[in-house]
Amino acid sequence: MDKRNNPLYLAWRRFLRSKPGVISGIVLLVLYLVAFLAGFLAPNNLTVQHPDAVYQPPQRVYFFRDGRPVRPYVYQLKRERDPVTFISTYREDRTRPTPIRFLIAQGEPYRFLGFKTNWHLFGVAESEGYFFPLGTDQFGRCLFSRILVGSQVSLTVGVIGVLISFAIGILLGGISGYFGGWVDTLIQRITEVLLSIPRLPILMALSTVIPASWPSTYVYLGIIAVLSFIGWAGLARVVRGQVLALREVDYVTAAMAQGASNLRIILRHIVPNLSSYLIVTATLALPGYIIGESALSFLGLGIKEPMASWGLLLKDAQNFQSLSLYPWLLTPGILIFISVLAYNFFGDALRDAADVRSRD
Amino acid sequence: MNRRRFLRQTALGLGAGVLAPGLWARGLAQGGAANVPANLFQEIGRRGGTLTLPLGSTPQSWNYFAVIDNFAYTVLNNVFDRLMQLDQVSFELVGVLAESWSISRDARTTTVKLRSGIKWSDGTPFTADDVLFTFTEVASNTNLRANQAATLTVAGVPLRFEKVDDLTFRVISSKPYGAVLQALTFSPILPRHKLAQFKPREDPGGFSRVWATNTDPKEIVGTGPFILQSYVPDQKVTLVRNPNSWRRDPQGNQLPYFDKLEYLIIRDPNVQIAQFRAGNLDQVPITGAQFPELKRLEVGGAKIRVLSGSTIYTSPPHWGFNFDVPNPELRELFRNLTFRKAMQFAVNRKRIIEDVYNGLAVLPGHGVAPGTFWYYDTRSYLGEFSLERAAGLLDSLGLRRGSDGQRRLPSGRVLEFAFTYASDSAPFAAIAAILQNDLRQIGVKLNLQGIQQGTLLATATGGNFESILMAYGDQPDPQLRKDIWQPGGQLNYWHRSVWPDRGSSEPKFDQMFPWEKNIWEIFRQAEQLGDQNERKRLYDRWQLLSAQNLPVIMIAKPTAVAAGHARLGNFFARDNRIIFTNFSMFEKA
Amino acid sequence: MGVYLLRRVLVAIPTLWLISVLVFAVIQLQPGGFLENLLEDPRVSRETIENIRRQYLLDQPVWVQYLHWLGGIVRGDFGYSFLNSRPVSELIWERMGWTVFLAFLTILVTWVIAIPLGIYTALNRYGPSSTALNFVGYFGLATPDFLVALLLIYWVLSTGGTNVGGLFSPQYIDAPWSWAKFQDMLAHLWIPLIVIGLDGTATIMRQMRANLLDVLSQDYIRTARAKGLAERVVLWKHAVRNAINPLISLAGLQLPTLISSTIIASIVLSLPTIGPFLYDSLLNKDQYVVMALLMLSALLLMVGNLLADVLLAWVDPRIRYE
Repeated sequence: MDKRNNPLYLAWRRFLRSKPGVISGIVLLVLYLVAFLAGFLAPNNLTVQHPDAVYQPPQRVYFFRDGRPVRPYVYQLKRERDPVTFISTYREDRTRPTPIRFLIAQGEPYRFLGFKTNWHLFGVAESEGYFFPLGTDQFGRCLFSRILVGSQVSLTVGVIGVLISFAIGILLGGISGYFGGWVDTLIQRITEVLLSIPRLPILMALSTVIPASWPSTYVYLGIIAVLSFIGWAGLARVVRGQVLALREVDYVTAAMAQGASNLRIILRHIVPNLSSYLIVTATLALPGYIIGESALSFLGLGIKEPMASWGLLLKDAQNFQSLSLYPWLLTPGILIFISVLAYNFFGDALRDAADVRSRD
Repeated sequence: MNRRRFLRQTALGLGAGVLAPGLWARGLAQGGAANVPANLFQEIGRRGGTLTLPLGSTPQSWNYFAVIDNFAYTVLNNVFDRLMQLDQVSFELVGVLAESWSISRDARTTTVKLRSGIKWSDGTPFTADDVLFTFTEVASNTNLRANQAATLTVAGVPLRFEKVDDLTFRVISSKPYGAVLQALTFSPILPRHKLAQFKPREDPGGFSRVWATNTDPKEIVGTGPFILQSYVPDQKVTLVRNPNSWRRDPQGNQLPYFDKLEYLIIRDPNVQIAQFRAGNLDQVPITGAQFPELKRLEVGGAKIRVLSGSTIYTSPPHWGFNFDVPNPELRELFRNLTFRKAMQFAVNRKRIIEDVYNGLAVLPGHGVAPGTFWYYDTRSYLGEFSLERAAGLLDSLGLRRGSDGQRRLPSGRVLEFAFTYASDSAPFAAIAAILQNDLRQIGVKLNLQGIQQGTLLATATGGNFESILMAYGDQPDPQLRKDIWQPGGQLNYWHRSVWPDRGSSEPKFDQMFPWEKNIWEIFRQAEQLGDQNERKRLYDRWQLLSAQNLPVIMIAKPTAVAAGHARLGNFFARDNRIIFTNFSMFEKA
Repeated sequence: MGVYLLRRVLVAIPTLWLISVLVFAVIQLQPGGFLENLLEDPRVSRETIENIRRQYLLDQPVWVQYLHWLGGIVRGDFGYSFLNSRPVSELIWERMGWTVFLAFLTILVTWVIAIPLGIYTALNRYGPSSTALNFVGYFGLATPDFLVALLLIYWVLSTGGTNVGGLFSPQYIDAPWSWAKFQDMLAHLWIPLIVIGLDGTATIMRQMRANLLDVLSQDYIRTARAKGLAERVVLWKHAVRNAINPLISLAGLQLPTLISSTIIASIVLSLPTIGPFLYDSLLNKDQYVVMALLMLSALLLMVGNLLADVLLAWVDPRIRYE
């Protein structure tokens, strides 16, 4: 077959035509790569508190000294506390330039692909001072490092959650719409019961049930399970509606009349028609999980301290003091925004690309 | 505050009237003498305007004894008066509806004389019948949800109320009752002529349903400075000046100064502050966490004032260990004083006060607010923060660190336990993170379990925790908090195995530690004493025992903070106290 | 059709019953109860708690409580609120007006904005204006609603505005309706509409765009075009009408969100709706209120579903109900 007639190749060509889609794809790729290498890219340990550097603003990196380019360096910040307002202010200590070192091994070891290592891409020597590229939180923990490690949670919650809830939703919704009859009635009743209970009471009930001694990975899986358990019912309903309509479309009824097997009809005629809808829904649902995780953090059911996720980090910024005094705490929110945006544009581009019949 | 001065004052206050008459020398002008404490006033106010305050949730009922709801109480405290109240500066009792009182030599009979000439807002005269109705039919009625029978009972026998004449009544107890006056301050006095018809004794269920929030506001009559005018569910409660208000300022002008008092219902504390900054609220309660931002605005020239001062009522957080936790190894550990001492060494109070409360907290007492009459200085027992000493004590218990740095229990299992806290409370969450971090450095793993603040108490009293960060509000008299600190009390949640069996009132003494038995006995004795000095000696000993034996580890006592608009008069700080009342504040020209 | 409706209603009864069991179980699952929360007050004694327990039948076995509650519902009595000492139905009714008003206004605004935008972005897929519109739409999806609320309030505040929450300025809350009060409401209303509506607008806009693109590539559209029908007719009579259908199922699901979807945003914005009321009741374990609201939400969902199905059958002749 000629390469130009290969549908996948054509889809790829169409995808490349969408500039936002391509950019978003690259952004997502970078985000996931960063999450994968988080331990290595993070200059500091995510749990170590620095009581002398509480709410420290981001440190500026200098590349020149006396007009000459030098190895990048930062100044150490000196904390001063206003005796009246108790606000901590930081001033650069110009007498203490601290060079940024690359590929240094220090601090607590982290796990990477099963190995224990303490190599970091960059950082300043522990004996010489601190380097907090995005500032610190209430406990003097490095926000940059926490965001990097937190991305591992936030970026995977959605993917796994969507896979689970879609598997259930498409299967049950499809069966329900295609076969109809008592199967349809039964599944409809189940989804109705699930949908009819508002999320909040369920979440609040569950938040008191997850044991405190669970390790972070269990809690993380538990959260995904909770989110996808709640998420599938709505999808099943819409899939059913679509299938219900498609079942009556001429080419499906024709296939039925010809005695084509159910499986063949579903795979050849119904699923392709649903695919573009499903892609849109999936890219819509993914950000929902990222935001859902932040809502769970709000209720105290999410990822627990001292672990991090973007939702948990953003919680620190949800008050006026932070907005006006420590605006850098909003960075996780910006990252949530970027990743959700990227997913949406990426999904749009995918949808257009997968749309086989559009020829314009 | 100075203890000797208090004793002198109480001796005076108990015998004769409340305030030296000289204080009111100026108060003979327009229509009546001054009758509220002069220390509430920085200047004489001017009449008019609207005072707008926030309310954190919708009030549940206007029937004070039918609901336990601080938001309803906040509103109703403007409508009803108590017999007496704590003075905002001295923390001593001053008369409100009561003009004077005396206690008999055997400390069993208290005679209270009421202020004359007070009228309910509908014009009916206020008399001792109203007081007797309130205490005998309502406040001590155990079938009403918010009854106060617990504080109106001594040694198991209810207090008896007797009318002497229209403006005098007696309270008689079977044993001397040292906290009798404090017990009388709890209850607002209700109008008998409006409520007796609902028969609270015979039909408590029916009585609880009257004065619901949809009642005609005209029905709800009070003696307080304001009366209800209207209520819009979930949005606003409006009160207006009580035309029959009896309060007079130092120049004899009728109080309150404000024509109207409005409560806007705003649930989110952030939005309360936003509304305050937008000028829609005159005052807003804040915590130490919000202090820097608002103080910065004040310093920057905004028309607000942010005040701080010490108070009795803030809730000092403490760290409790479940002495009855199912895991036998942890149970033994938590019951071990050396272990609890080690944990106390790991509590960095200085950092918590500085970073979590922004310096707006002090070292805690053990069950009593520091700086008040009953406080016994236990600070030397709090110890300095020292992870080395904590580690040393843990080593001495044989809890050695493994190769991974984690300490091991005798069975070889890792030393880890849960730490339950309210994740929706900023200070609690911060304290949890600091403790977890410090303990990790000495090889103890704390598993944080965040729950909703609203479920904290139920979790504690239900025993569903290993260790927990809790807080109980302090009260002016230790007797009022005996359910917390007396072993076997219903809020003494950390040692539930000594709780009495259902139907019994005796706790299980055989399960108690010797020091717990001592504390139990102290509370029993102090309840039945009239002499405040003797009571103080007993309560001193209780605080010492607590500081030495650490039933719970006290963390810090938050300072009171408040923010108000600069146009508010008589909202000020003096002698490290924040001073204001809704009837003494006014709008500056 | 009539038979179909009757059957649906009959089927709804066992579903509602199932939900009532589930709702009751969810409430019982939570640790602690309403009464335990009372004990913190220094004045409450154990004896009082026992008395109240008896008053509200809480000392009875769980199944007795359940049957008692169910019996009440059948008679139209939803029980008493522990917190407010008032009938549950009265309390819900008090808050119904603003809740329904806000919900319908939001749904209306959402649809009126989202459908045309969805059509526009579908027809101009690669244009910069579509990308910009998508960007704005996605903003709503990309930020938690309570954060949007907080940011908006912060923005209003820092630009010197005073309308930072609620539906009215304080002086208008209990004032009779007037032109000034109406204007004041409009000045407040835009924040809740943005916060609550942003998310829905983006969702519907995207769905509409996707559906329309799907429909436009269908054979019958090509046939219609081939027949020489005017592009306007093809687009509006055939394409758009068919593209809206799947959204009707979605609309059915929106009805119960009246009660629960915007709880946290409503708390932040101090809106007098049912959401915060449900939240308070949940925190305080005011079980009859919670159960009544959950049942109401279930009922609304079923009504919504039924309406959506009927509407779907009406606009889409391809769907047949036997």
